[in-house]
Amino acid sequence: MSPLRITRIYLRMLGTHLRGSLEYEWDFWLMVFAAVLTQLVSVVFLRVVFTLIPDLDGWTFWPIVIMFGLISFGEGIGSLFFEGMWRLAYRINQGELDYMLVRPYPLALQVTSAEIGLNGLGNITSGGAMIVLGLCRAPIHWSPGLVLVAPLLFVSAMTIKVSISVTTNAASFWIQGPNPLFAMAVHQGGELTRYPLTLFPIALRSVFCLVVPFAFVGFFPAEFVTGGHALWIGLATPAVAAYCVLVARFAFRRGVLRYESTGS
Amino acid sequence: MTWNPRPYLALARATARSAVVFRLQFALSLFSVLFQLVAMLAVWHALLSHKPLTGFTWPKMEVYLLVTFTAGAVVSNFSDFRISYKIRNGQVALDLVKPLDYQRARLAETVGGLGGELLSVLLVWAVGLAFGVRLDLPALRYLALFAVSLVLLVLLKFTLTYLTGLLCFWTKNYLGIYWARLAIVSLLSGALVPLSLLPHWLGETAQWLPFAGMTSTPGLLLIGNATGGQAYRLVAVQLVWAVLLWSAARLAWRGAMRQVTIQGG
Repeated sequence: MSPLRITRIYLRMLGTHLRGSLEYEWDFWLMVFAAVLTQLVSVVFLRVVFTLIPDLDGWTFWPIVIMFGLISFGEGIGSLFFEGMWRLAYRINQGELDYMLVRPYPLALQVTSAEIGLNGLGNITSGGAMIVLGLCRAPIHWSPGLVLVAPLLFVSAMTIKVSISVTTNAASFWIQGPNPLFAMAVHQGGELTRYPLTLFPIALRSVFCLVVPFAFVGFFPAEFVTGGHALWIGLATPAVAAYCVLVARFAFRRGVLRYESTGS
Repeated sequence: MTWNPRPYLALARATARSAVVFRLQFALSLFSVLFQLVAMLAVWHALLSHKPLTGFTWPKMEVYLLVTFTAGAVVSNFSDFRISYKIRNGQVALDLVKPLDYQRARLAETVGGLGGELLSVLLVWAVGLAFGVRLDLPALRYLALFAVSLVLLVLLKFTLTYLTGLLCFWTKNYLGIYWARLAIVSLLSGALVPLSLLPHWLGETAQWLPFAGMTSTPGLLLIGNATGGQAYRLVAVQLVWAVLLWSAARLAWRGAMRQVTIQGG
């Protein structure tokens, strides 16, 4: 199957779920409203902190807003386009993968497209707004090189965020049970990386750099673009993204080999 | 009608047991609160080590944040989702045929979940104190007020959770309601920023809202920032809201009963 066809079918599958969700119009608005409200509150929090103090451990307001934005945007992409992965544990538990295994379409994509999270729209909107505002207000020295690199960093950051969720959800092939408990715990831990990594003790820092590289979703790209600390490690983001995709692919494939359906 | 507590006690015991059986899920329901604690400790440490604020030094803030964790951990997701889940999947039908007061029965279940929650809270406090959190206990009468305000906190959190859970009789989307509530409570309860550090008009207003009783009041009492008449006033506000919300929930329940749709069959 050509990549174009794969993408088209993917979007069509999401489209059916979108139509299904839009049947409940109020639910749609509620989800979007809740997502925006959540982001808004966190920005209010930041604003208050920065009225008390001009810089937090060397960090000013707008670079942190970019970090918040990146994490929220990544969450939005995850829920809007890949929400199905959060149901993987349940499908394995119930033996529902059987149906998918016989269809002529990549299994992982069938799994991720099997649901749509409309709260993603709220997170993408508010995350996008934070990134744009942050980029406008933070003192950034835009050079042609940076203009080229920034979009690459952005795409890589989003890829890392989604890949981590896919990998941790694929762990459900090993961890039995209908709920993706492990993935949820990791996801919640990732919320910490909205804040500058330097605020945390060294042990946590290394976890977010080396074990689950959430630091490359928000912190390092924002750090690189705003340039305050000239941390060139930000440039490694695409490599980390490639690595995360490979790990996710590997985990999913090995996981499927363990799948043994249910008796019913 | 005399009130027989035995069936309610049985419900409380049943929840306590289910918390033990589903201990992994139970522990996980506390994860987000725990991570929130870590994040807040990091941010406030960075802030206060630079510049002590009026009323909040770092040692006081540590204790305040531990109270925030406590407030977040009691009546956790574990009880929270249980209330709405039954309404959404139709199990509420089974509760309706029981000759029990619905609201009290749900409160009993929530209280049953408290045991495990308090255990986790004690654990986190123990770790905190072992790693250098300094707790200067306030005068005895404020300590007593603190205890009262913790009880009221549970009652307030329960009624708010119950009220939002009842909304599922109208919409099936609890997650949206849950997130919206979480956002509002975290800001207006002082869980993110102590209310006195919010913009003046917002902080002043929030003091009189029911949310203040869900973190700020016990927090201020324990670190000794609320004294004299103010201490009593804060607890009184908590009490008034607890009574008001409890009655509001009763009214909402009556409305819901005219609305009820039993899912499935």
